[in-house]
Amino acid sequence: MKQLDVRGAKCPIPIVKAKKEIDQMQPGELLEVIATDPGSVPDFKGWAQTSKTAVLKEQRTEKQGATDLYIHVLERK
Amino acid sequence: MSAGEEIEIAELLAKLDGGAPLLVLDVRNGDEYASWKIEARRQFAIAHIPYFDFIEDQESSLARVPNAESEIVAVCAKGGSSQMVAEILRRSGRPARSLAGGMVAYGEYLETVKVPLRPAEENLFQIDQLNRRGKGCLSYIVVSGGQAAVIDPSRAVAIYQSALGRADARLAHVLDTHVHADHLSGGPALAARLGADYFVAAGAGFDLQHRVRALNGGDELRVGNIVIRVLAAPGHTPGSVCYLVADRYLLSGDTLFKESVGRPDLGGHVEEWSRSLFQTLRGRIARLDDATVVLPAHYAASSEIGVDGVVSATLGELRRALPELRMTESAFTEAMKRALLAPPPQYAEIIDANLGHREVDPERAIEWELGKNQCAASGGPAAQSREARVR
Repeated sequence: MKQLDVRGAKCPIPIVKAKKEIDQMQPGELLEVIATDPGSVPDFKGWAQTSKTAVLKEQRTEKQGATDLYIHVLERK
Repeated sequence: MSAGEEIEIAELLAKLDGGAPLLVLDVRNGDEYASWKIEARRQFAIAHIPYFDFIEDQESSLARVPNAESEIVAVCAKGGSSQMVAEILRRSGRPARSLAGGMVAYGEYLETVKVPLRPAEENLFQIDQLNRRGKGCLSYIVVSGGQAAVIDPSRAVAIYQSALGRADARLAHVLDTHVHADHLSGGPALAARLGADYFVAAGAGFDLQHRVRALNGGDELRVGNIVIRVLAAPGHTPGSVCYLVADRYLLSGDTLFKESVGRPDLGGHVEEWSRSLFQTLRGRIARLDDATVVLPAHYAASSEIGVDGVVSATLGELRRALPELRMTESAFTEAMKRALLAPPPQYAEIIDANLGHREVDPERAIEWELGKNQCAASGGPAAQSREARVR
């Protein structure tokens, strides 16, 4: 699975970069986005609802020390 | 990004209040937009297109922006995505700026307004009302004879500090009317920074960690040439108090609002606290004169801001307008029970912090405080008509 590390980035950067990445991928390929901005959770959900190229397969939170990581798994349509 | 491409929250609100033609374009996600948005003293044009729609499909998103000659102000949570959208708009030939700091800046902004006094009082003291427009929280600075008291300060203590500097007043007392559940008190920090006394009464059952000066109902505090009397006002919380300034201005905290009374349900003892609130309103507060000016700690809608910019009403006006002040005790308690609302988000954590049990880093503080206050009991008859008036 491809990975996109946007730790520390604030909106709109995570979705700008995810869109750029996913548009270059082949249908069925997966992209794992690793973010630290809690706002990315509803925003990835909202974006995936209208996106022509990305499907949101999974969202989960992981701890990395004291930091919460928000992980979004996208599939190229 | 040059300064001309951003607009500060003070300028935006002044323009909207003044009726300047302007389109607010909120670019947050749908849930954030539905739960909390910019309000002003006049109706204004507002549209909602999430920033990620502009990322997904710029052309069709631009086509959805309402047509208007007026300037567009893009608004997001913290001011990042709105810069991107404003830039897209400008490139397409629309005049657009981004709200600097976004809804966080809106939620922290304090607008200072002078409370009008009687001519004889003006020589003795002044009262400033600091209106936290984004949350509907009100705090106060009372200045007399080179001394000051600050009541219910919010977290942005530097603003109070500079106001005291401009008034050339020494801070004597920092007073909270109660342990707030909807916002973090700036009281302990402000008192510590300027070496003043801090007071909040938590009431039985609360484990208060702050070092406070003990105060009881009936106590008096001197500020320069005037006296602030402490009125015990249990109900919204068991330890709630009101402060009567110069025997005429009632800083009513969350006991009595302009369009409602304080909600008595946040402790899980709605029946008992409702009876306390009833006795407070019909006992101690009922003995005050009709001409008493009520200055509450919150308001619910921008329509409550008067033409002079102040949120206030006389007790006489409230006695005529609020059914809660005329009900029997049992009807009042029933109305309060019907008014049960979900508690404010993060209220347990906020109370904990305001009691001094935990430190809160600024990032978390911002997150906890997002949204408007929900301190009024709003299921009663007065509140239902109010809900209908609110957009």
